[in-house]
Amino acid sequence: MVMNILEIENLSFSYGNPRDMYKKNVLDDINIRISGSESVGLIGENGAGKSTFLKLLTGLLELKDGEIRVAGLGLKKENLKDIRAEIGYVFQDSDSQLFMSTVYDDVAFAPRNYGKSEEEVRAAALLALKKVHMEDKKDRQIYRLSGGEKKLAAIATVLAVGAKLMLLDEPSVALDPKNRRNLIRILNELPGAKLIASHDLDFVYDTCERVILLSGGRIAADGGTKEILTDRELLEKHGLELPLSFSRGCPC
Amino acid sequence: MSRISDAISELHKLDMEAGKRGWLQGIHPLPKLLVTLFFLVLVVSYGKYDLSGLLVLGIYLIITFVLGDISVKLLLKRMRIVLGLVCLMGIANPFFDREAVLILGGFAVTGGMVSAATLAVKGVFAVSASYLLIVTTSVEDICYALRALHVPKIFVTVLLLVYRYIIVFLKEVERMTDAYALRAPGQKGLNQKVWGTFAGQLLLRSMDRAQTVYDSMMMRGYNGEFYLRCKRSAERGDYLYAAGWSTALLLIRIIHF
Repeated sequence: MVMNILEIENLSFSYGNPRDMYKKNVLDDINIRISGSESVGLIGENGAGKSTFLKLLTGLLELKDGEIRVAGLGLKKENLKDIRAEIGYVFQDSDSQLFMSTVYDDVAFAPRNYGKSEEEVRAAALLALKKVHMEDKKDRQIYRLSGGEKKLAAIATVLAVGAKLMLLDEPSVALDPKNRRNLIRILNELPGAKLIASHDLDFVYDTCERVILLSGGRIAADGGTKEILTDRELLEKHGLELPLSFSRGCPC
Repeated sequence: MSRISDAISELHKLDMEAGKRGWLQGIHPLPKLLVTLFFLVLVVSYGKYDLSGLLVLGIYLIITFVLGDISVKLLLKRMRIVLGLVCLMGIANPFFDREAVLILGGFAVTGGMVSAATLAVKGVFAVSASYLLIVTTSVEDICYALRALHVPKIFVTVLLLVYRYIIVFLKEVERMTDAYALRAPGQKGLNQKVWGTFAGQLLLRSMDRAQTVYDSMMMRGYNGEFYLRCKRSAERGDYLYAAGWSTALLLIRIIHF
């Protein structure tokens, strides 16, 4: 039996007062299962509920309706610390994610909070930096990193806790082609499950084997990457377009 | 470069200087903090007319500046406003204390003049010693040393977060003033009419970014305390540094010059 790292049942969510009869659900009756090694793309037009969805998974927004289980643990206040050790959230804005002065201190922040000894912290931080090929930049000041390096450092900060599921919010934003390619290569090298919310459908195509299409807070499609990203009619119906490489006629 | 960019750049430079590999930077933060605190206590302990005794204490600053290869010019540039203010602290003293305590070449030096000078020197010494600590020790290391001295964690956390958020805040101010300046050519500064909306927007944007930073901390197991570690534990040389300076400073204080 394949072990699911993430199980979501009947998830609905709306902002504001739940008793407000005019409120509209940002997410509506979401059911998803992600296995421990899957790489899943979460796509949808602006306002489809992608960021809200990611924040709900991490407990940054309070779950009101439905059920979320991460590595078998129900998403409840008392489980948050354990759940956050299983989930790594890479924010869209790396500048806000990295808040210590050096790369090493930032990457070591989480293992220290989880009570590891200094040797364990060092080992975890160096391994995480090695996975993103940043071990030679561990003593660099954060503000001296390039945009691409900041993104990799942000990924290292979540790898250092040994997260089994990595959530990435628009990871390719503001990256130049070289850094973008580098990020794709590194993400493909990383084991474990990934949920990548992105507007960059080419990026999703290069990093994910499964795609979930959110539209108006509901799952409009869930299937193989190629199957969904080549379906022009489906994408256009939900406010998206074919990936650039397909629209140019690239066979890929 | 705008003044805000300058301020951000200065903060980054301070971080960089503190992270440099140097003799003074290499000393464990705890002895450095202890020596600085001891120096400050001694500075405060001098009487208001004891200018000559106080000046001898400046030996600590001179030696540390030289050994640490710290630029005095940069100190004067960075701390000019604070130094200016501390020098003015005792400005009213000569008007209240007019009793002559010394005749120098026919000129009567009053008690007020001496106490004003003493106050100014105390201020300059305190600022310089604090600067020396900041420029040779990262804020994380200072906070680590404070926690080692059992300073309450809430105080240390606030200190650390204020230092981090100040850059976030300044960057938001810079973004907004740049956007304003690009659409208001030829204007000097912000028009009075937009001050209200500007302040409101700044508050909302800063809160938004601060929330993201906080979310990021929470996602990585933050539970109200920064578990700060020093790169190494204190060694014999560090203890000698603390003991050596404490003895020397105490001797200077006891032996009245």
